[in-house]
Amino acid sequence: MSSFLQELTEGKIDFVGQQQVELISRVWLIGSTILSFVLGFAAQNLQVTFGFFGVSTLLLALIVLPPWPMFNRHPTQWLAVRSKSD
Amino acid sequence: MHTLFSRINNTSALLSSCVMGLLAAIAISSILIQFFESPIEGGSVLVKKVKITHGRGRQYKYEHAHVDFEVDADLSSLFNWNTKQLFLYVDAEYTNARGVKNAVVIWDRIVRRKADAKIHYAGKQKYHFKDTNTFRDAQAIYTLRYNVMPHVGALVYGVAASTNASVPFPPMVNNA
Repeated sequence: MSSFLQELTEGKIDFVGQQQVELISRVWLIGSTILSFVLGFAAQNLQVTFGFFGVSTLLLALIVLPPWPMFNRHPTQWLAVRSKSD
Repeated sequence: MHTLFSRINNTSALLSSCVMGLLAAIAISSILIQFFESPIEGGSVLVKKVKITHGRGRQYKYEHAHVDFEVDADLSSLFNWNTKQLFLYVDAEYTNARGVKNAVVIWDRIVRRKADAKIHYAGKQKYHFKDTNTFRDAQAIYTLRYNVMPHVGALVYGVAASTNASVPFPPMVNNA
């Protein structure tokens, strides 16, 4: 039970998944910053800016934070245990 | 990025940098908007009547000025997406008989919406206006000034209207 909880809160993903998550979050955040500025400036309304930014950040959190199976498609290939050799 | 906690950590770090960049861009954009905006025109400050009396009660030894005035201005061009509110104030600048230069705020107003930006006020001052010595032989220029307070960024001060010419203080009413 406790190891299940531990796995749940750890939310591990493999190395390729980590690279994907980093790329996704960087592109998404910078893109949504620029887009929310442009939208708010066009509407001359600050609520549009921060509303759009907030919603897009929540969506990003849904995509990037949980350990989805798509980020676990390349599990690390560990070498076999080497017996002690003298 | 290997655990949930480190993903939250890394993403929130980039998120706070992005938010700071966004706020800086908003502040710069409103400074640029105001830079290219034409100055306020068509405003007027008219002083209808000035009366000098003794103060009430403990203030009897001081001369108090009572000013009736009328202010008109259209300040809607000051509202952009980064404007939180406008602080308007009318002040009287004069040099009294002792040579001391004074500037006294006699009326103010906070404007929070563009719809309320067309100012028209005709009436009395809001605040006490007294001189510690005397108003004799002095005259004041009355100016409507504004302060644009943004959501994020620098405060901007400006002048909306003025009487331009000095308005003299009449002699004190002796039996007031």
